[in-house]
Amino acid sequence: MLTSLADGPKHGYAITRDVEELTGVRLGPGTLYGALSRLEGKGLIEALPAEDRRRPYRLSSAGTAVLEEQLRALAQVAQSGLDRLRVAEAPG
Amino acid sequence: MRTRLERLALRLYPLAFRRRYEEEMRSLLDQTPARLRTVPDLLRGALSAHLRPPAGVALDPADRVRASTSGVLACWVAFAAAGFGFYETTEDGRFPAAGYEHPLLGDVHGIIQALAVLASAAVVIGSLPLVVGAVAQARSQRSLRKVVILPPLAVGAFAALTGILVLIAHSQRFQHAPAGGRVAFIAWSIAALGCGAVCVVASRRALFAIPLTRGRLMLALTCGTVVTAAMAAIAVATACYTVVLPLDASRLAAEPNGPLLRISTGASLIGQLVVMAVAVALAATATRRGWRVAGQLADSQPV
Repeated sequence: MLTSLADGPKHGYAITRDVEELTGVRLGPGTLYGALSRLEGKGLIEALPAEDRRRPYRLSSAGTAVLEEQLRALAQVAQSGLDRLRVAEAPG
Repeated sequence: MRTRLERLALRLYPLAFRRRYEEEMRSLLDQTPARLRTVPDLLRGALSAHLRPPAGVALDPADRVRASTSGVLACWVAFAAAGFGFYETTEDGRFPAAGYEHPLLGDVHGIIQALAVLASAAVVIGSLPLVVGAVAQARSQRSLRKVVILPPLAVGAFAALTGILVLIAHSQRFQHAPAGGRVAFIAWSIAALGCGAVCVVASRRALFAIPLTRGRLMLALTCGTVVTAAMAAIAVATACYTVVLPLDASRLAAEPNGPLLRISTGASLIGQLVVMAVAVALAATATRRGWRVAGQLADSQPV
């Protein structure tokens, strides 16, 4: 969800569609707003003024830092995995 | 139908959560195509929001106290409904007789009845100023009129049904049909639960619709605390009764009981105790949450 907000503010429906495109998982409204409320409570995202009945959310500076840290850790794990696969597949 | 179920599931979220996110969630539901998984997902989300309320989503103190008192009232209705399982012990003359024979049984039974009267009195004292306020407000607020009229209508219908059932029960033909008595008792219990549910929902709506001074809110919270304490004491006394009955009057404990007379008095008491324990735990949580913010209530301004 933090990754979905990395390129700018989005409201609930846009986050749902983006997460579905990214992961193939369609979040239900209960799951989505449960997660949004927790992220907001932890100060990782911020709500912007409501537009009609929808309210866009954006990453806070703390959220940006946490997302960056987690993505780097994930990238490191992914890179290590790929390196190991290459070594295992190498002839001899 | 789908929309109705989704709207109903949304209403199960905690009030603070609903105030913050309900409009957005409704907007999302309007944009999303129908899916079977939506309602279970909302129910799971509602449960999670109750068990782990997100930080930063909180009611203002006055509404917190309103929610607490209305929560205690709902628990009292459930608690009283559980008491119906105890009905043979008050209806059947052998139980009071056993109370005379075994003083401990008699004492516990007496204590339960005295505490039930105390809790009922606290409900009346705590809710009376709120009812007066709601009726006064309903004169100028049309939407509140229906809410104020519903409880007396429900109580009236319930009283009428009770009267009819009593008349039928005393008719000669009916006295030879015990199965009919059980059906009548079940119908009466369902009507009592329905009446209680209408009163709880309507009083909650009215409670949030009318401005209340700190004094009235504190009175309601104090009475709610008395009701919670009385419920806890009744539950303990019932637990004692459940233990003592098979020891002192084993034959009575094995007698059929409950609305369908399908289980023994002992088993009926255990079932009743489980409901009572849940109701007491929920009421105690609501009361504690109310008192936690009571000091932050504005002094004299109606809120």
